[in-house]
Amino acid sequence: MLEGLVSPENLSLSSMDMNVLERLKWLQQQQQQVVSRTSDNSPELLQILQFHGSNNDELLQSTFSHFQMLGSGFGPNPNIGFGPSHEAMDGCISRTSSFQMDPVDTMGVMLKNSEENRTISSKNKRKSEVKRREEEKTEKKIKVEAETESNMKGKSSMSNTEASSDTSKETSKGASEIHKLDYIYVRSRRGQATDRHSLAERARREKISKKMKYLQDIVPGCKKVTGQAGMLDEIINYVQSLQTQIEFLSMKLAFLNPELELSVEDLYVKQLQDYFTNLPVVIASKPSIMVDVPLFPLDQQGSLDLSVINLSQTTSTEAPSASCETQSRSLYNTSSLGFHY
Amino acid sequence: MERQIINKKKRVFSVEPNKIPPSEVFTRKYTSLLVPALKKLNMNKNSSQVNQLTVKHEVDMALALSAQEFAWSRFLLQKLSSSNNPTTTTSSSSSGIRIQERSGKEGGHEDGEIEEKLRELQKLLPGGEEMNVEEMLGEIGNYIKCLELQTIALKSIVQDTT
Repeated sequence: MLEGLVSPENLSLSSMDMNVLERLKWLQQQQQQVVSRTSDNSPELLQILQFHGSNNDELLQSTFSHFQMLGSGFGPNPNIGFGPSHEAMDGCISRTSSFQMDPVDTMGVMLKNSEENRTISSKNKRKSEVKRREEEKTEKKIKVEAETESNMKGKSSMSNTEASSDTSKETSKGASEIHKLDYIYVRSRRGQATDRHSLAERARREKISKKMKYLQDIVPGCKKVTGQAGMLDEIINYVQSLQTQIEFLSMKLAFLNPELELSVEDLYVKQLQDYFTNLPVVIASKPSIMVDVPLFPLDQQGSLDLSVINLSQTTSTEAPSASCETQSRSLYNTSSLGFHY
Repeated sequence: MERQIINKKKRVFSVEPNKIPPSEVFTRKYTSLLVPALKKLNMNKNSSQVNQLTVKHEVDMALALSAQEFAWSRFLLQKLSSSNNPTTTTSSSSSGIRIQERSGKEGGHEDGEIEEKLRELQKLLPGGEEMNVEEMLGEIGNYIKCLELQTIALKSIVQDTT
């Protein structure tokens, strides 16, 4: 559900992947909000709303003037950046639905800025993400509501949707946020360049750092090291050590191969034991059932039971895994298992 | 009788059939692939020498086949199928040394260092050089996981035979 302020750039929402239903609801909300403020403004705002992403400067100006009248009463989320909204027409949809109706008078400020920044040619590009431009006081936090974001379907590419970079003047109040649907939220600070390329760069860097964080969790001992270079070092060493370990084990296996007399089932048991070290007891009985479906045909079954073959032929890959799962659950104490999903 | 038991057991599905821990799935797939393959190797090759390379080949094959949802497994499969003499992963020791040298040399240049390391990482990952950095970082994560599981599986196999 979008709760947003009416702003020209929201027109571009029409070009977004929104459900018609959502849009209608949103429109309704807008109307309601507007009505609550000033009644006579609503028709014009509605008019704006109906104007789908047109490069209509006059309309914009009229809306600006309108909002000027509304003044602080509107208490909009400045992020909507009416100033940058002009530019925002291109790409900034302040989808920040979390618009808190804080009665902060940023309107005046915004409008002033907008005057400066209105040199941007407003092309309507398809906004798949929400980008908000700056001109915010740093205290102004736009809480992005994840649900609203998730409602919007967006494509991932950020670079196209950035507003034109010509106006890249740092605004005096410099906090802005870039909202990307289920992506990273990049916050630019005061004095940072806010042009398209640097924003894209920053977003990209955020993505990468996110992944690095994830890797940090995986690779043991990575958390102590600070800095990307150190972390990468750790990761590289870890991967190499794993690979050498595997090589070593396979060498060992090659050496021992003639004595290979194992049954798959016992292996499963062992593996589960190794992986979850707090498992209570080993299953000795009914080994033949706990076998997964082989992915390529077994030519020589060796010690595997015939029942296994029947299993492979008759069931899909899902079912045996599921059945194995339940068996393992019944056999082990599920509560003590720490299955990782 | 046994068949009946099996059939009965088959009907019992887990409560959330889709939520089988991927680690478990992987390990099972892996062992169920590798063990028969090794046995096959054993039986086929009458000469007692089971080539270490072929074992490595089988090991890597099993890895690639049990992790088919990941991009790197595709590359690994390509490598394996294209080369009869499997040279799947670069020998780790040499590249390890190289890394140390590199990091020693590039003391001052921060970004270059990181890029070097990323490139090293790319070399470690099968198919890593064809991916871009972000993708590669993601793939490395699950590659590491699979390697860990693979080591566990291999350990258990080896332990079983000793």
